[in-house]
Amino acid sequence: MTEYRFIGKATPRKDALDIVTGKTKFINDLSIPNMLYGKALRSPLPHALIKSIDTSEALALKGVKAVLTYENVPDWLGGLPLHVRILDRKLRYVGAAVALVAAETEEIAAEALRHIKVEYESLPAVYDSEEAIEPDAPQLYEQFPGNVYPLEIQAFGPKSLREIAIGDVDKGFAEADFIVEGTYTYENIPNPLPPEPPGAIAAWEGKDTLTVWSASQGPHMVKVSLQKRMGSINLQSLGSPVGASYGTKYMSWQYVLPAAALAQAAGRPVKYYYENPEHLAAFSLRLGSRIHGKVGMKKNGDVTALSGDWFVNTGASSETAQAMVSVGCGEAQLMLRCPNWSLKPKVVCTNRTASGQVRGFGGQELKCALIPLLTLGMEKADIDPVEFFKKNYVKPGEGYYWRDGFWWESRGIDYTGAIEKGAAVFGWQEKWQGWLKPSSVNGVKRRGVGVGVHGNADVGEDVSEAYVRLDPNGTATIYSGLAEHGTGQRSSICKMVAEVLQLPLERVFVTPTDSRINPFEYGPVGSRGTYAIGSAVIAAAEDAKRQLFEKMAPKFKAAPEVLETEDGMVWVKGQPGTRLPWMKGMRYDSTIMGHGRFEPDFTLPNFMMIFTEVEVDTETGKVDLVRVVGATDVGQVIDPLYLTNQLNGCLGSAGIDSAIFEETVFDTRLGRIMNANMIDYKWRTFAELPEMEHAILETPIPSHRFQAIGVGEIAPSPGPSAVLMAVSNAIGTRIHKYPLTPDKVLAALGKITKQERRGN
Amino acid sequence: MKRFTHVHAGSVDEAAQLLAQYEGKARLNAGGTDLLGVLKDRILPAYPEAIINIKTIPGLSTIVEDKEGLTIGALTTLAELIHSPLIKDFCPLLKEAAITVASPQIRNMATIGGNLCQDTRCWYYRYPDQIGGAIQCFRKGGGTCPAVSGENQYNAVTGAKRCYAVCPSDTAIALTALGAALTVTGTKGTRQLPVEEFYTPLGNILAPDEMVTAIHIEKPGPTATQRFLKFTIRKPIDFAVVSAAAMITLEQGVCTDARIVLGAVAPTPVRELRVEEFLKGKELTEEVAAEAAGLALQGARPLSKNSYKLEIARTLVKRMIMGHACGCQGNCHG
Repeated sequence: MTEYRFIGKATPRKDALDIVTGKTKFINDLSIPNMLYGKALRSPLPHALIKSIDTSEALALKGVKAVLTYENVPDWLGGLPLHVRILDRKLRYVGAAVALVAAETEEIAAEALRHIKVEYESLPAVYDSEEAIEPDAPQLYEQFPGNVYPLEIQAFGPKSLREIAIGDVDKGFAEADFIVEGTYTYENIPNPLPPEPPGAIAAWEGKDTLTVWSASQGPHMVKVSLQKRMGSINLQSLGSPVGASYGTKYMSWQYVLPAAALAQAAGRPVKYYYENPEHLAAFSLRLGSRIHGKVGMKKNGDVTALSGDWFVNTGASSETAQAMVSVGCGEAQLMLRCPNWSLKPKVVCTNRTASGQVRGFGGQELKCALIPLLTLGMEKADIDPVEFFKKNYVKPGEGYYWRDGFWWESRGIDYTGAIEKGAAVFGWQEKWQGWLKPSSVNGVKRRGVGVGVHGNADVGEDVSEAYVRLDPNGTATIYSGLAEHGTGQRSSICKMVAEVLQLPLERVFVTPTDSRINPFEYGPVGSRGTYAIGSAVIAAAEDAKRQLFEKMAPKFKAAPEVLETEDGMVWVKGQPGTRLPWMKGMRYDSTIMGHGRFEPDFTLPNFMMIFTEVEVDTETGKVDLVRVVGATDVGQVIDPLYLTNQLNGCLGSAGIDSAIFEETVFDTRLGRIMNANMIDYKWRTFAELPEMEHAILETPIPSHRFQAIGVGEIAPSPGPSAVLMAVSNAIGTRIHKYPLTPDKVLAALGKITKQERRGN
Repeated sequence: MKRFTHVHAGSVDEAAQLLAQYEGKARLNAGGTDLLGVLKDRILPAYPEAIINIKTIPGLSTIVEDKEGLTIGALTTLAELIHSPLIKDFCPLLKEAAITVASPQIRNMATIGGNLCQDTRCWYYRYPDQIGGAIQCFRKGGGTCPAVSGENQYNAVTGAKRCYAVCPSDTAIALTALGAALTVTGTKGTRQLPVEEFYTPLGNILAPDEMVTAIHIEKPGPTATQRFLKFTIRKPIDFAVVSAAAMITLEQGVCTDARIVLGAVAPTPVRELRVEEFLKGKELTEEVAAEAAGLALQGARPLSKNSYKLEIARTLVKRMIMGHACGCQGNCHG
């Protein structure tokens, strides 16, 4: 293995000191001159029409500068396809914006909301994905009859993947030794809940130029995706340190468009920032996922056919559901080697807060329902799930249909090694006692183990560009639109550039995320940070280095190819006495700009397996997560601490804990989310962490110069189904409704007697 | 947050006068850990006109020992309770309960008086105004309790009629088991009453001009042992799904007296008199504990989604009794 100067070594994150000393300015710390504060009046009804709305009293309040309703708001759209107005006459969930106010202070804005008089016509509401497609169900959008979205996604190309249709399932079922079927769900719609709520500041210069400050996970895409739909304006997007995102703050229209509309109406900059209850009840949740599925299997565990209807509940609008379904369908194939597939998704809208982009992007939602179904078959064949996943996970040379609808083959690595290492670290052999058998029993406490798997060929999705500028003083500046959303990726790209140029890390800088300065960057999504973004940055650094050597070569009367550089000095290979500083070749009056670009590539799947051990108190139904082992092969570690941090982040934010206690509790009579606060929304605290360990392999993978692939967003995705398996094994009976709160566990144990039940 | 008048009270009398003067439109503020959230989310039908700061009242944050027992000032913080040697010696049960409340930061601010008087956590009652308006439930003067046929997993399983919110105070459960009394002062004078009689189905007995000023705990007998158990979804932070407190006196292995109290199962702390009677005169064996636990919450009428709380409550009762038997604080049983 190559020994590097920075790559693979632990180095402090460049932003660490500012964060821990409170110096970092997040969006809500920013204030720009003349700025107003925006707030939204939110719908009390899950489905309604606005009969009348009177804003005169609110407008008359001192300090109120603008009030917007569906009647005077610009017709800018969000959603997939574009269909969601900033304010609409029709309201489709409790919490939908009814009106927007901009005022001199937050207090005045909040007060003004109370002076807006609205008359509603209440409409019947529907919350369940299968009820929503019934012929007599309430209809949310005229353009989507039956509450079903078209599955086409322009951005993924004309053949975009809309289902898994491979082989002949009838033939496959005929060949099976046995068939298992059932309905499995992952519908507790957890909230990814980054600590920093979404928000933006918008300021217009004239009619055509809009500057936006936001904590988007993909600040450059704020520009690219929004400026066209706002009337081909020029949008200047300034990013900021992101107080985490977990995917949820990548889509930006929900908070940028209201800010821009208010700023336009008021003629002054406006900050529009979600309060915590709004973040919990009126911002993107995870998709609801339900499968009626059927699996054909051979006695040896080979899957001969898989068919199913996949109901995807996206709530009041699709923010990106079809794309998640598409990627989810791709990811299911990575996990399962099966010659005959027929998985038919349906994306359905219902009258609750919209679902949106969340890490695990469709794949986690699909697997959390699909793996429990598969385990029925594994149990019947009496196959160890680790062996099953080992046999099935995509190997080099094997193929899959990806999001563009084309067949791709893996040119990556075999992850068997990571699976075996993970199993050894976890002690799987000793703990696995067979299906529905506890690994140990201590009085009323029973322990069980479970395992899950996930992987993603999106690490090479979409385009990244970067420049690397060399200055004669021996410094390098990376021009990248990469936002720091918590993973340390901005520090990682500095390490990559420092390694290419052999510069001390403190001589490498990154520009602020500002679309006026930086080239195109799709953003750190799809786990693409290490491979896609890394490739662009590395290419830019290599290009800069090439130009440097061309510029320096005459000084040495040598060919550029024979030069070497380190710490801002250049010399002829093998002749250290010839050393000259960059300044000698570049003089004080030049800079070098290297360009790099990454083109999409779907041939490198990454990998994550999670082993869990739980302890169940059979008298109280309490599930405790005792131990977690993550197993992956990252090709090459860029920074061991950043990587461990990413793997340790597998618990909360709609990850493993969505199998234990994270859920959005929804009252279907009122259409309201009942736990929109941090006491009732059960978010694990640092005082309650399980034992965690990770098995990390480094098998070189043909990605870029450093042969790395990373792990990214998939860190938590195998976890929820692993917990389900572990609890089922612990208590000796199948339990598969997320999350496994005490009421469900006690019910599964038969400890809640019928006589004690009242009501439904 | 909306504007309000903020007044510093210099004495209990002044605070009572102010309460009377504002005719129910003022709220007392001690630690503020509950009140500020209530105000920010605007869950109450009427926003208070005034906030009366009682932290400025001298002499209410002391723990004093006399012949009868302890007197705890209502402004004593939960952190002070937890660290008090007097509390540790005489009523470890109260310490155990206080230490389960919220987080260290909150316990540094929150007072025992505030913990006893805090508003319910029922999520219908607490629904934030920002998201389509607060919910006018029965407790706020509305017609019905939406929890009855709604998301009632944390609501009352017994003792509730029109409102199914539960008493959220952990220290109330502990103090009821200890047989503690409260001093309540208003403009018409001062009265004392057992903690057990403080709570009502819709809150507590305080008149609009009254406040809790002190808690009195009689010294338990030398052979009385105390236990507190709290079942939560998460280990720290959470309010109880069910809590349980017990003070049991054993003479040569036989129970001579018992006070068993359950929390978060009803609008008030629930004395389990049947369990208490059953235990008297018995050795606390596993069988006795199990049988006693079965007597807890007899006649309870759980709602659609909370019958699991009965199982948990009975488990806690059993574990408390067994903890007394083996002296393990219930740890070896859960």
